[in-house]
Amino acid sequence: MKLLYLIKKELIEIVRQKELLFLMFVGPIIQIIVLGYVISTDIRHVPVGIVNLSKGQTAVRVIERVRRSPLFNVRLESDRNEDYLYLLKKGEVKAVLIFRDALDKKRSVLKYPEVQILMDGIDSNTSMIAAGYFNGIIKNYILNDMEKLGQGLPIAGKAMFRFNPQLRNINYMGPGIVAFLLTIITIFLTSASLVREKEQQTLDTLLMSPLSTLEIYVGKALPAVLIGLVDMVIGLLVIVLWFGIPFRGNIAILFLAALVYLAAILSYALLISVLSATTQQAMFFAWFSLMIFLLMSGFFTPVDNIPPTLRLLADINPLRYLIKIIREIFLKGNGIVYFWKDLLALAGISFTLVTISLLNFKRFISK
Amino acid sequence: MGRIKAIVIKEFFHILRDPRSLTLVFIIPLVMIFILGYSISYDLNRVDAAVIDLSQSRLSKQLVRAFAANRIFVVHTRVQSQANVLSLTAAEDLLRRGKIKEIIVIPADFSRRLAADMQADIGLIIDGSDVNVANLVYQYDERIILDFIAAMKGVGQLLKLGTKVYFNPEARSQFFFIPGLVAVILLMISAMLTSLSIARERETGSIALLFISPLQSREIIVGKTIPYIVVALLDGALILLFARFWFGIPLRGSLAVLLFFALLYILAGLALGILISTTAPTQRVAMLATLLSTLLPSFLLSGFIFPLDSLSPILRAISYAVPATYFLRIIRGVILKGAALRHFLFEGFMLIALSLFLLAAATAKFNKQRRAAQ
Repeated sequence: MKLLYLIKKELIEIVRQKELLFLMFVGPIIQIIVLGYVISTDIRHVPVGIVNLSKGQTAVRVIERVRRSPLFNVRLESDRNEDYLYLLKKGEVKAVLIFRDALDKKRSVLKYPEVQILMDGIDSNTSMIAAGYFNGIIKNYILNDMEKLGQGLPIAGKAMFRFNPQLRNINYMGPGIVAFLLTIITIFLTSASLVREKEQQTLDTLLMSPLSTLEIYVGKALPAVLIGLVDMVIGLLVIVLWFGIPFRGNIAILFLAALVYLAAILSYALLISVLSATTQQAMFFAWFSLMIFLLMSGFFTPVDNIPPTLRLLADINPLRYLIKIIREIFLKGNGIVYFWKDLLALAGISFTLVTISLLNFKRFISK
Repeated sequence: MGRIKAIVIKEFFHILRDPRSLTLVFIIPLVMIFILGYSISYDLNRVDAAVIDLSQSRLSKQLVRAFAANRIFVVHTRVQSQANVLSLTAAEDLLRRGKIKEIIVIPADFSRRLAADMQADIGLIIDGSDVNVANLVYQYDERIILDFIAAMKGVGQLLKLGTKVYFNPEARSQFFFIPGLVAVILLMISAMLTSLSIARERETGSIALLFISPLQSREIIVGKTIPYIVVALLDGALILLFARFWFGIPLRGSLAVLLFFALLYILAGLALGILISTTAPTQRVAMLATLLSTLLPSFLLSGFIFPLDSLSPILRAISYAVPATYFLRIIRGVILKGAALRHFLFEGFMLIALSLFLLAAATAKFNKQRRAAQ
């Protein structure tokens, strides 16, 4: 019961500051909404330039389609053989489409013009998608042409997308953002907590109290667990109600995974707090860990792309497992049979971190 | 000027007194770029696909071979040892487990329909959870099928489509990610450097000494920023050199131009940190505010990962307030395209305007607190 007083004290310290309350509960909502919109925008209005050197009608018709498509924003059009590279270099366009009449040995001009795409390869992702859009336009044109002559393409691939039929990006990224905001807030609240007591010399008061080391440890971590869970509920409500992301899985298992994850993250944050002498040091350590956790978690880019030598880092990254699990539950509605291995790995990491952190904490207190 | 110098010297002592923090400031970004430079990439290297060939004809087997011949496709035709043909339910389960990314179903009447000059459909069941990957897989499928048709009809290519990629011919996503990472890290480190400076004085109570000093608020704010310009600029130069020499990111433009803009960018970051520091009552609040206002916006609202051209007008308006938006354009332009100073006059102007605005806001805030305290 003594523990309750410590938890109460920690919570009072947090609630007392309205700025902190704002950052903890309102900040995440704003972030999820704004970032949710960013994420749910498909790539469109790709700025392109068009150079038409073809004399045929086909090129004119294809260009008309490109111009009408919302996927492209035609910034420049020309019918002269100019320095195309200059346009790309200025960064005004992401791609230049060049139409030329292709020659055939038998006929003087082929039915379809030769098309060349010059792409700005820096943002390879956007360029690839833009090239895909363009291929689609040309393919549709040819298809229409063939249908007019009474023949379709002999083989057609009919695609069906499982788990996310409309290919909404927010369905994939939204749950990840919730997991990440949960991480930011709890890790920063906790990693600063003990250091502050060191800096302000209030630690001795805490140590002289009748609380045991374990109780102090738990008392420092539990308030953040509560706050983390509240934040997670808020975040989940926002993505489900505001963005309409379907929730298909079991909510209890999701919270179980979140609790295991919070144990890992908070014991890690307390370890940072023990090892840092000033708040600034704690901030740098927490920041470093956060960036590594985020960027090696599969949140933005697939984990499979991490080279084998650095794979170990990804394998011990707790956020990676939480993001995997939250996506399994949200997108696929999978039950625990599909991800028990991930949950087990997360629990293992959690247990190891709690042990290391608690040992360090005890050694630190006894000094 | 002399008074500002005094506070600059005092602040330098603060920095030097905590050598561990200073070391972290220089080491952490390098370690981060080292690890992340290798780890983050969009490239699709391998697509596991299950093929259910119900036709089992000469043509369908040729089509399966066409998929298998592609560099990135790994085709699974027989997963269960006892059965010759993989069943659809088993394949769907593999898809659900994430073991494969797509299922290609060739119907039983495939070659019959083709022989009768009718259109034959192929079912492509793709895991749509990662939208980016799903789109790429579908594009590869289409290309393979079109090539197959062309080969079947013996017509060569239906149309000549040439693609040429500039500035990054091998389409290495490192060229895209590393300059972006440099931008994000530089902004975050600058903001963090100053974000605690005033909040710390407030927490320890020494802020009262600042309040009653003869210095004007403006001088205090500027004096507290200057020392960190030196630290952050050194840090920035180190990060750029590391990206250049370790990852071989080419520097096609001039280093002086890049450092000049880096200076303006750092200033914006430091000014943001100072504003947070004057507003936050404790260091803990300052830390959290700095992280929330720099991390995700710099990744998602700057054009780093999602292109700004696609965003709605409101979001684009917000992106103008994110300093990383400008520096990202500059760093990519100078490093990869060899662009010059005159290409980025607007960006440079906006960075200066942002810094001045943030510094003015911090001064006003500090002044108000000072008057309230007196």
